[in-house]
Amino acid sequence: MIELKDLEVRYGKRKVLQGINLTLKRGESLSIVGESGGGKTTLGLSIIGLVEGTVKGEILFDGKNLVALAEKELKAIRWNRIAMVFQNVENALNPLYTVLDQVSEPIVAHKLGDRKEATKRAGELLSMVDLPEGRFYAYPHQLSGGEKQRVLIAMALANDPDLIILDEPTTALDALTKVEIINLMHTVCNERELTILLLTHDFYAASTLSDKMAVLYAGRIVEFGPTPALLSNPRHPYTRGLLRCYPSMTTTKDLQGIKGRMEFFDDGCPFHPRCTQSLEKCREGAPRLEEYDGRLIACHRGGIIPLLELRDLSKSFDSLNAVDSIDITLYEGETLALVGESGSGKTTTAKLIMGIFEATEGRICLEGKQIHGRDKSFYQRVQMIFQNPMEAVSHRFSVREAVREPLDIQKQCDREQRESIVRHILEEVELPSSEAFMNKYPHQLSQGEAQRVSIARALVLNPKLLIADEPTSALDASTQAKVVKLLLNLQEERGIGMFFITHNLALARKISDRIAVMLRGHIVEEGPSNEIIRNPLHPYTKDLLKAAPTLNSNVPLVPKHTSKKKEGFGCPYANRCDKALEVCFNEKPQLRHFGSHRVACVHA
Amino acid sequence: MHINYWHELIRNNFGKLGLAMLCFVLFIALFAPFLARYDPGEPSHAIFMPPSVDHWLGTNDIGQDIWSRLLCGAKNTLLVALGVGVFTTLLSTVIGASAALVGGIYDRILMRLIDALIVIPAFIVIILVAAYVLPNVWTLIFLISILTWQGGARLVRAQTLSLKERMSVYAARTFGANKRYIIVRHIIPNLSPILFAVFIHSATRGVFIEAGLAFLGIADISTVSWGLMMHHALRFYYLDVWKWWLIPTGLALSVTIMALVFIGHALETAMDPRLRVMEQEEWQ
Repeated sequence: MIELKDLEVRYGKRKVLQGINLTLKRGESLSIVGESGGGKTTLGLSIIGLVEGTVKGEILFDGKNLVALAEKELKAIRWNRIAMVFQNVENALNPLYTVLDQVSEPIVAHKLGDRKEATKRAGELLSMVDLPEGRFYAYPHQLSGGEKQRVLIAMALANDPDLIILDEPTTALDALTKVEIINLMHTVCNERELTILLLTHDFYAASTLSDKMAVLYAGRIVEFGPTPALLSNPRHPYTRGLLRCYPSMTTTKDLQGIKGRMEFFDDGCPFHPRCTQSLEKCREGAPRLEEYDGRLIACHRGGIIPLLELRDLSKSFDSLNAVDSIDITLYEGETLALVGESGSGKTTTAKLIMGIFEATEGRICLEGKQIHGRDKSFYQRVQMIFQNPMEAVSHRFSVREAVREPLDIQKQCDREQRESIVRHILEEVELPSSEAFMNKYPHQLSQGEAQRVSIARALVLNPKLLIADEPTSALDASTQAKVVKLLLNLQEERGIGMFFITHNLALARKISDRIAVMLRGHIVEEGPSNEIIRNPLHPYTKDLLKAAPTLNSNVPLVPKHTSKKKEGFGCPYANRCDKALEVCFNEKPQLRHFGSHRVACVHA
Repeated sequence: MHINYWHELIRNNFGKLGLAMLCFVLFIALFAPFLARYDPGEPSHAIFMPPSVDHWLGTNDIGQDIWSRLLCGAKNTLLVALGVGVFTTLLSTVIGASAALVGGIYDRILMRLIDALIVIPAFIVIILVAAYVLPNVWTLIFLISILTWQGGARLVRAQTLSLKERMSVYAARTFGANKRYIIVRHIIPNLSPILFAVFIHSATRGVFIEAGLAFLGIADISTVSWGLMMHHALRFYYLDVWKWWLIPTGLALSVTIMALVFIGHALETAMDPRLRVMEQEEWQ
């Protein structure tokens, strides 16, 4: 129905849109999301021919190129075939006319009926958008924001268009009104088989009103695909960043921003200054929108890269399988929380990655390349925060020496530079960089300070992957909160992938993108954090959730270890599971996919 | 836990006493040439003179000034202490630490060797060897050292094994540190207190063995050694000379050995947390 081909819009020399290719069939709905200033409104305006800039490329509407059309022909299409609900509710209505007059105006203007008919039709439309009849003769300033939005929708629908462009229809509305408007849009569009182009930064509106979603950044589309897939599994760093900024009841992780500001680039990927995985080539050429796994992504690296992949990783100490063929992927800039009780093999996994233990079987891949030997460059990219900072820092080292140690070992920079790097990193972890503090020894520090020193040590080499082994378990709540915030901020700034080991599910929920639940060397459940928290499938995860700290006074019932039968053959949770069957004791359940989850349980 | 061993040593009363005594002996050894009134080897006086203003401790059977010989003996004793201490500690460290760091078959062979050597009574072997060689100071130091390093090596090995597993060493490895860095920056600094203890113990043992051998007459006659002096003095037990010949010499030897033992004890207390706590409770 409508097709945009290589659309480019410029205001003077500034390209506001470039290389836009979109196709929208009749009855489809497409949302265009992105930060404000990204070119969404310009896109909408260029379709109805109201844009003030120079437009290049083609906008084909039922085969007619709107760009080449004369204003007169355009007028016939505008409002009759393509209507737009404008943003900025306050100014879109003329304050001098009653709403009924305003809705009837396009009908009269396009000579689709005389004034009487128009007024009648306007009344119908207004009642359709659920505006109380008493408000028909009200002036715009007498209406509430939601009512004005309804009027605007009624106006757009006046001439029965085929394509309706909604520009931020729900912004600035309160929650209930927003839902009402969305519901209204739903019914109206279904009744009339409208094609919707929704321009918004509100993911809620986009998720409810569109089947497909395009993410627009600095005038270019960076990701395009089915809405649910894009929302549950964003693959472009920008899409992920937007979703992380968006507070919703679905996500559990703390809000994170996107570093930097939006800038327009003619060359290079527009997102590269803000992207945490950008390479040299990202600066040089703009990436093309290419297909990866059923969606289009414009990224030189093919979207968010898998930073760390553990494939069938096993480690046994004599007869004990401390880690039993686990399979985990951690993406760039994300946090994977490895949750489980003590002794479940979490720390062993961390040590396997760091090369402190040699894996019995399996592979470890970093940025897609398998790790064989670990040299200095490996440790530059991968760092670990140890569980007990007091032990991990030699008691003979002062703070200065401890933080400088990685630089000394890696032989980076000269003495003075190292000194300034140490000061800088200490400030970054919110420790004093004074001479007095840097000369302190570990036993003179508080737990929180020691942990920050240990974090500073891990960060001083600027790693891409940070393995944090219970970094906050020894800290009190307020210090823990600070340390966790610090880590999340660093993730936002540097795109550090974090492998966060904890036994605290409540903490994992706030900081992680994915959660993997580990039990006796096995991964029993793995998936996006919100899914694991909302809908745990494995009995062990359910019990962990029950046991997670709440502020209610009731103490949950947690199953006790009953050694009913032989251990070691079946499901690692069989002895504690109240739903255990015969098969649970005899056979190890395989990790199977359930939606975005993976669960190893026969009951799932 | 960070312990400043020097402070602990100073804080401990035994340590203070031991150090004071050792300093005293050291002072004598260093300034013997100035303090001594005669050449200790010069047999130019009347024999068996009782203490007088000229000869504070009289003279011996061949007319040497005993006071001068006593002063010079300190040098010999401390030289043995230092020599045996350094050499034994070095042997213990190299063997013990390398066994712990290399591990495997190398470690096993060395440990069995230590087991074998530890049952050999060092003193008797030294007597046998020394009886043939009549060693001078340096050969004696060498002899004592190569026969008594086993205990120290075991200690160092055990300590190195535990140091190797420290989190701080793992942390250094995760920064990309190589073996050399870890040994130089992490193992050796942390071994130092135990090395000092090994040093003190070997020094004590060295002094003891040297004196014992000389007392039995197994020594180069030309050396001025407290053990040898006692050996000679004892031959004239029927005369009065033991009062100013045997007793001061024995006292000097005791003071030296006690000084070392006290320091060793103080160090042990500092290193063993349980002993430390007990000590503190005692004082309170």
